[in-house]
Amino acid sequence: MLEIRDVYKSFGKQKVLNGVSLKVSPGELQVLIGLNGSGKTTLLKILTGLLEPDKGKVQIGGRDVTQLPPEERYIGYVPQHTALFSHLTVKENILYSLHHGRGSEETFHHMVDLLALEPYLGRKPGELSGGYRSRVALARALTSTPKAMLLDEPITEVDRAKKEHILPLFRSVLVEMNIPVLYITHDPWEAEQIGTSFSIMKDGNVTRINSPAEAFAIVREQALCDGE
Amino acid sequence: MRKVSTWELLFVPLFFLLIVYPIAAIVGNVTVEGMERTFADPIFWDAVKNTLITAFFAALLGVLLALGFGYFYIFHPGTLVYKIADFMNDFPIALPHTVAGLALLLAFGRKMFWFAGPTGLAFTLLAVALAMFFVSYPLAARTIAASADEIDMDLIAVARTLGDSPANAYRRVVIPVLGEAIFSAYVLSFARSLSEFAAVIMFGGNVPGMTQVLASYVFSKVEEGEIGMAVTASAFCILLSLLLVLTLRLRGKYYARNKGCI
Repeated sequence: MLEIRDVYKSFGKQKVLNGVSLKVSPGELQVLIGLNGSGKTTLLKILTGLLEPDKGKVQIGGRDVTQLPPEERYIGYVPQHTALFSHLTVKENILYSLHHGRGSEETFHHMVDLLALEPYLGRKPGELSGGYRSRVALARALTSTPKAMLLDEPITEVDRAKKEHILPLFRSVLVEMNIPVLYITHDPWEAEQIGTSFSIMKDGNVTRINSPAEAFAIVREQALCDGE
Repeated sequence: MRKVSTWELLFVPLFFLLIVYPIAAIVGNVTVEGMERTFADPIFWDAVKNTLITAFFAALLGVLLALGFGYFYIFHPGTLVYKIADFMNDFPIALPHTVAGLALLLAFGRKMFWFAGPTGLAFTLLAVALAMFFVSYPLAARTIAASADEIDMDLIAVARTLGDSPANAYRRVVIPVLGEAIFSAYVLSFARSLSEFAAVIMFGGNVPGMTQVLASYVFSKVEEGEIGMAVTASAFCILLSLLLVLTLRLRGKYYARNKGCI
């Protein structure tokens, strides 16, 4: 379980998170639709442990990790532009966490098979297309055997035609891992393709919704209210 | 016909008069006799050796310390240590180098280590290297910090979620990514060390064959009235500097081309 309970965060007088609560169960792929300026980046930093909340708790796998640094949280993270280590090969990227005894050769081979990365293992990230870079970033995070996954618009570098192929692949791999997954996107179509549940982040709060369409109705409504 | 702007009219003659002409004056005054006498002088070669060895270690120490500063810059930018270090980085640039040399002399030029005599580290090759380091370190620190500023912070975030402590992430991710900046910082520090005179004289002295470096060799030869030798040694310095600048430029082009391929 990935759980955030009543998390508050302010920077000076500016309140960014106003009591955010969120629950993601193992095997659940929750898509969080974050509006611009909604506090999404702050929430991400609090989840990964790069930022401490002013108040509230973060739990991963039943353990309170609020005060723990990122390296002790066992959370897999795939950021927007994949953040692959350009000086390492694809294989070295995926095996990165083994240095700390996380994951195994077996998990590595399993991920490589699932994401069809075998022909690219000796290449440097710069030699790959956007789609394959995302696959490597996902394989790298999952090989570390995390207790929860956080994906922040991981396939923004991929065009729509390739997304149609990658999203079902990502979904099946993530569901197979049977861990809680929080997936952030702006794209309603992408949300529909990958998510098993949905929520929206707005004005420093997260609300559960039934479908991505509902989130984008809220977005449109807000745009109208703002006079855009 | 293209209209020539005032800035061009101002820049071109002044640049050639004040920068290119003095360098050309050195090169133009090199004589065969001066070259023969200088290259036959063992003290000159000692000065060359001393310069290269001390500048090598000064630049190495400068880069190591600059990497330490880079660590604070990335992971602890709000701390007092970082703020003091950041402020002090500009300090040696603004300080007259004679003052820097005197500061080093007062700090380390006394019996304070078991292996050192009554004058401490002063008037040794180590003193020369420390004086060079003192004035060249800010260049290295600024070069590293400027590149660290451009690092994608997600690289560090991902490394940490994969189990790296800040120190591990710095060693395994940041330093390799900073490779080009580290090279530039080293070459710039080395070049700055080669040219240092005032701080070196104050702390390291100017003992021929022992602590004399190329810059102080030139000074001594001018004092002795050996202008031909001073000019030859100066031309040698210009050659060394050109080689360094060329290395930096070629490496920069090579790096840009390879990066472009990716």
